[in-house]
Amino acid sequence: MNNLPDLPTKFDVIVIGAGPSGSAAAYLLAKKGFKVLLIERGRGLGDKNLYGGRVYAPPIREVWPELDKEAPIQRWVTKERISMVQGEKVITFEYKAEKKISFVSYLTQLSQWMSKKAEDAGALFVTEVTIDEIVMKDGKAVGVRSGPDFIEADVVIDAEGVNRLLLERLGIVERLKPDNIALGVKEVLKTGASNIESSFNVGPNEGVAWVIMGDVTKGIPGGGFIYTNKDSISMGLVLHLKHSMNFIENGKFDEHVSKLVEEFRFHPYFRPYWKDAIISEYGAHLTIEGATHFMPSKFAYPGLLIVGDAAGLLLSTGYTFRGVDYAVYSGKLAAEAVEYARNNGGFTYENLETYDKNIRRSFMYNELFKHRGAELLMNNPVMMAKYPSILMRVMEKMFEGEYTQETIYNALMQALKEEKVGPFDLISQAFGMVKSL
Amino acid sequence: MRIVVGMKWVPGTTSVRIDPKTGTLIREGVPSIVNPHDMPAVELALQLKDTYGGEVIALTMSPPPAIRGLEYLIGMGVDRAILVSDRVYAGADTLATSYVLAKAIEKIDKEIGKVDLAIFGQETIDSSTAHIGAQTASWLDWPYIYYAHSVKLIDNNKVLVERVLENAIEDWEVELPAIISTHMKALKPRPVRLINKIRYKVEKPLITWTNNDMKLDPRCTGLKGSPTIVAKTVDVPEVPRKKVVYKPKDGEDAAKWLIKTLMEDEKASKALIKALKEGGAK
Repeated sequence: MNNLPDLPTKFDVIVIGAGPSGSAAAYLLAKKGFKVLLIERGRGLGDKNLYGGRVYAPPIREVWPELDKEAPIQRWVTKERISMVQGEKVITFEYKAEKKISFVSYLTQLSQWMSKKAEDAGALFVTEVTIDEIVMKDGKAVGVRSGPDFIEADVVIDAEGVNRLLLERLGIVERLKPDNIALGVKEVLKTGASNIESSFNVGPNEGVAWVIMGDVTKGIPGGGFIYTNKDSISMGLVLHLKHSMNFIENGKFDEHVSKLVEEFRFHPYFRPYWKDAIISEYGAHLTIEGATHFMPSKFAYPGLLIVGDAAGLLLSTGYTFRGVDYAVYSGKLAAEAVEYARNNGGFTYENLETYDKNIRRSFMYNELFKHRGAELLMNNPVMMAKYPSILMRVMEKMFEGEYTQETIYNALMQALKEEKVGPFDLISQAFGMVKSL
Repeated sequence: MRIVVGMKWVPGTTSVRIDPKTGTLIREGVPSIVNPHDMPAVELALQLKDTYGGEVIALTMSPPPAIRGLEYLIGMGVDRAILVSDRVYAGADTLATSYVLAKAIEKIDKEIGKVDLAIFGQETIDSSTAHIGAQTASWLDWPYIYYAHSVKLIDNNKVLVERVLENAIEDWEVELPAIISTHMKALKPRPVRLINKIRYKVEKPLITWTNNDMKLDPRCTGLKGSPTIVAKTVDVPEVPRKKVVYKPKDGEDAAKWLIKTLMEDEKASKALIKALKEGGAK
């Protein structure tokens, strides 16, 4: 049984990783008649609800037009909120959107739905298998090795995600540095659908995506987030690792990160939203910031295409994060390049390179560089502390005068003076900020 | 050799919480896994096949989600798997379960080919009865040996089984067919192989038998065939610990401090005095 003569050991395409990018590529290629092997290291099922968040639908609808009807969607985001917090003082902006372009989903469920699509389209989908190596021969990827088993393919698509062990082993990318990493800590608070709908004032399938800046991170660059699932609320913090380390080394921070989340959960402004809720899950994981530094130098190599998080296709604008739709879209571009190669004389590097070109031409690449400033800004402790502080003082002077209240102009001028910022500094910095956002 | 190996699909943790109102397990958020103590049994079966040739068949009585566990075992190298699944098997205690398993082994023996060995794990992590191997052997009237660490074929019809006990290592000659339960630490299971996973998807070496196939009397299976009654479950309350650490100079100091501290506590001092009296000390 150790040599299995009848089993396929050669595929047209091997996709490593059955997340959104890998599943999209495998689905599209299987649909076009390619012999596809899709390999997932995990169990490939939706047991955990911890990994989740907001997902943008339009690029995904290009691959799966049935998304809105079939996918495991928790709630559509119809309300956007941004809050600044200083002690018990809070300023909140709310935007009620008209269109439904993003939704909240549990990532394991969504990935499972996508990988099922790939399998139904004809891809051979295996789980619980770890790939040890992408096998190279004469500078070209020719397949994968897992333990004693070598499986051959014309093209290997690397969709291994943020933790790029295989690409590191090939020397294509370097190990992660703290500069590029943020720590996400999250709790899932179970509270019931009707509680969510009444406290957030949203319809049955509608929900809120909420970004929180200021004190919740004790000044460490990063922020808080809240979003609504069907019958639970996910909330937590994202902390930039490098700055967290600096804060700890300088003695400005010496608490366990779980304590910060706890304080956020008990904050009197937010607490009523999850009154009587129970913590059903909690955990932490690493995410990528500064994705443009994280990109490999090329997206296509001979016999090898890199998609999704592994390709550094993760956007953080400071107020929104998107990765799942970019992942799916990069999977689509990879599938198109493989198809192009087949129809144009074979899987040569010249043909596969169209993927690299199409990534660089795509809306994603453009967006990632456009918003680079936002990341720098959000990573700047002074900026992150100064402006909320000024705004908070303005509000305080306008609304919390016990007998007299200030005009907006006076409130602003006094606030600037107290924060030691000249009006011209404010204007020039604000201009710079708007430009980078 | 044709070897049947048992598998149970269990909640993947030993710290499953119990609903204080209903007394039932809270399974939400707890993914299921192959019972870890079954892994040495699977590994033993695969090693015997590696050495002597033949076939390994995984067997489980379970609702259909256990297919994922059978897939895992096929990934390890098991040749095929049989899921015995029917509503009339639900709610079974170990007696009713072992009855169905014994009948399934008989059916394998008759329809697939002669079964030489059936191997089970020591016990399961979700109920820890260690009944199944012994009961299945009783139904089949086959010899049974447990805590097995290794098995060697000594002639066509006999194996030498080594069992490792706390204070002895015993070698037993056992006539085939026989039932063996492995010790939970007997062998380290091999990892899943990519090629076996591909084989699972391509060949689908999985058979499902319902009671239409098994044709068992429903009075002997499931809840009806289970004489065990759970009279009451008591949730043991958590004892609040004092969390005191004392760093003694030496043994005498440690003993003195311990006695002094215990005597200061009303409950502990009573228990201590009682224990000393019963122990005959003055």
